[in-house]
Amino acid sequence: MTRALVQAVRTLLAGAVALCLALPAAHAQPAQPAQPPQPAHSTQAAEAAVRTPQRIVSLVPSLTETVCSLGACSRLVGTDRFANWPPSVLQLPKLGGLDDAQVESIVALRPDLVLAAPSARVVRRLRDLGLTVQVFASDSHADVRRSIDALAATLGDAAAGPRLWAAIERELAAARDRVPPAWRGQRVYFEVSTTPHAAGTGSFIGQTLAGLGLANIVPPALGAFPQLSPEFIVRAQPDVVMAPRREISAMAARPGWAALQALGHDRHCGFDAAGYEMLVRPGPRLGEAAGLIADCLVALESRR
Amino acid sequence: MLQADQLTLQLGGRPVLRGIDCAFATGWTAIVGPNGAGKTSLMRVLAGLLPASKGEVRVGGQPFAALGSRERALRIAWLPQQAEVSGELTVREIVHLGRLPHLGLFTAPGPADEAAVDAAMAATECSAWAQRRLPELSGGERQRVLLARALATQAPILLLDEPTTHLDAPHQVALARLVRRLAQRQVVLTVLHDLPLALHADRVLVLRDGRIAGDGAPADPALQHALVRAFDGAVRIDTRGTHPLAVPALDD
Amino acid sequence: MALDLTVPATGATDHSRRRTLALGLAAAAALLLTAGLWVGSEGWAWPAEQAALIVGQIRAPRSLGALAVGALLGLAGALAQGLFRNPLADPFLIGTAAGASLAVVVVLAAGVLGASAATQWFGDIGLAAAAFSGALGGMLLTLLMARGAQHSLRLLLAGVVVGMVCGAVADLLVTLSPQAMRGRQFFMLGSTALLGWHQLALLGAGLALALPAAWRLSRGLDALALGEDTATSLGLPLARLRGALVLLLALATGLAVSQAGLVAFVGLVSPHLVRRFAPAPHGYTLLASAATGGVLLLGADVLARGLLAPLELPVGVLTALLGGGYLLWLLHRRAG
Repeated sequence: MTRALVQAVRTLLAGAVALCLALPAAHAQPAQPAQPPQPAHSTQAAEAAVRTPQRIVSLVPSLTETVCSLGACSRLVGTDRFANWPPSVLQLPKLGGLDDAQVESIVALRPDLVLAAPSARVVRRLRDLGLTVQVFASDSHADVRRSIDALAATLGDAAAGPRLWAAIERELAAARDRVPPAWRGQRVYFEVSTTPHAAGTGSFIGQTLAGLGLANIVPPALGAFPQLSPEFIVRAQPDVVMAPRREISAMAARPGWAALQALGHDRHCGFDAAGYEMLVRPGPRLGEAAGLIADCLVALESRR
Repeated sequence: MLQADQLTLQLGGRPVLRGIDCAFATGWTAIVGPNGAGKTSLMRVLAGLLPASKGEVRVGGQPFAALGSRERALRIAWLPQQAEVSGELTVREIVHLGRLPHLGLFTAPGPADEAAVDAAMAATECSAWAQRRLPELSGGERQRVLLARALATQAPILLLDEPTTHLDAPHQVALARLVRRLAQRQVVLTVLHDLPLALHADRVLVLRDGRIAGDGAPADPALQHALVRAFDGAVRIDTRGTHPLAVPALDD
Repeated sequence: MALDLTVPATGATDHSRRRTLALGLAAAAALLLTAGLWVGSEGWAWPAEQAALIVGQIRAPRSLGALAVGALLGLAGALAQGLFRNPLADPFLIGTAAGASLAVVVVLAAGVLGASAATQWFGDIGLAAAAFSGALGGMLLTLLMARGAQHSLRLLLAGVVVGMVCGAVADLLVTLSPQAMRGRQFFMLGSTALLGWHQLALLGAGLALALPAAWRLSRGLDALALGEDTATSLGLPLARLRGALVLLLALATGLAVSQAGLVAFVGLVSPHLVRRFAPAPHGYTLLASAATGGVLLLGADVLARGLLAPLELPVGVLTALLGGGYLLWLLHRRAG
């Protein structure tokens, strides 16, 4: 009886292992997704429309915003769970985040383009499954500009990219002009998390601040989003503190933070949730975000 | 067959064995001595579990260094004082492990191995529990199983460290009889705290402070004297009967 | 040499239990594999041309992959518990988990910080390769600290120290590069979502290597169960045996972790279940633990996909809940 059992287990094991090794070889090339039907008489425009992506999945909220700002919002078929602008994308299927993207759902949507961020594991998996994935970094203004240009080209309207960027630059310039002279060169502490992490000079937020003519208490050497010690912040005595509104009200209660003169003298900008979200998203609303900061400074100036 | 040459052992800076020099031939040798005399350490060195600081152990003329661990295991079987209890293996599977020196890790057991296991279990009277597991047995029953494991190796030299612990009187006697039978063909060394039983051995080795304080047959007056001295007069030997008897010296 | 599982004749009960367990595991695996093909965020209603893609390219390799990863972890758990003679030993004890997660953080941080060629290359080799080499590296560091595999206690202590140090360095890196934290969190939870056919081939090769090797060393584990001294007196080359077992352990763990992240409890619980139902020598226990681990992880994976579909739970959360719950119940029984 034992021998029979042994033989059975042995065969099963060998079979299972052989299966594991053989199946991948058989399935190495995934079946190509069905091609969209070719129109009988194709005009140049129709051909162009056929070649450019028509079903786009975006796993990065800022890239979702970029696609919509480039006028291709109707071509989005799915987004990640955090995308919420423009409001129309809320209707689209949500596919998880970058790290827990639902592979099956993405594939089932038959996208011809997936947008993701660098170092997301799902990129490799989706490419293995035969999907086209484009990856964009969004760490600086230059990155945003590059992604806008590249996406515009992919979407088939290369001119739209520089057009959009020009509009953003106009908004940035307008915001800069609105900043009251008394506030030029003032040193800002921009909080990105309560740990606390601050927006450094090299980050896209820091670049926006610089573009507005404001200084940063964080020296460039500390990096993009450094974790600071509260001591450092208090010693630096920023002229303006910028953070979400609910954090501003709680900030003075943090041990030692009451020493921040900016808090005591009401020199702070507390942004509401939607506004703050816009500020921390490196996307096409950079200019609008800069405008928010300018508005706050104008309000502070008028209150003086 | 088993020789110790000037065995010296230091453990943690403390000298445990100081120049032990003796040879063991076929027969039953009981090693006795007060606590801390170095009995178990001597056993462990003789079993090859502890390297001596100085001196060497020789088996059949060959020093340990010349033998591989498996060759040594084929010649010397060792029963520890306390063994870890495995809950998964049946008694028979445990005794079967005694065949490891013959089989190594890879060889399948054959009829010779099964026969050896059967014989070992029969000798220690634990055949009835072949399918039971150690946690179900009493301390004494476990001891017999582990002894069977040592016997299953069929090694010419048997080192038994306190094999009578946990055994009740009838089983102590049974064990002593078994050891006597084995000693007719094998070298059997036992560490024993039980002096009366030790005096039934063919030869008694008395250890004290890491040195041999006495060595001889139980009937030898010189040995008996050494024994009494080694235990600081806590025992005395009663030679009135057919056999020397060690009794606690309570009345003196 | 033939793959010979013969052990000395055991009683009817023992034997029938082992057979029942083996058959039960096979049946469970078959059942769960079928379920694995059926369950997913897209349910069962999509156009026919997608069938090949969804079932063949996503669900099939993922289910088989879960089986393989679980098998590796179950095997590793049985090896760890036999090696350390401790029923609470876990395959992540000898620095493998710590090393793997540190390597993952390095890659994630490099991907974000990286501008130099070195960091670019590092980001390219991918998290899987990093996790695997990190696991082996952590194990080697532990062996170095313990100065070999001679003493189980020293090995365990070294593993704990390596774990703490690696964790601290990883935390430091995350402080310098907060974007790495998110990826690390998902790695720590474990996920079967990214298992494709390529990954399955790797896992299958690993199993084909590890299972026979472990089975051959199983008698040594049995002897070890009687104590180190007894095992030495039986002529076992203890240091070499331990070294081989540690290597096997690290290989199995490293491979599993590199493909699925840190999946909790599967390695810990599988040998327990086998021992409870069908106590046996290690020759059987190792293989049965592998099978049990595979079934457990596959079951958790199917649940993770199906419970709140189309939402997917991280599989590590489910294994932690189920495994942790089982252990709590075990402790309760022992105390009561």
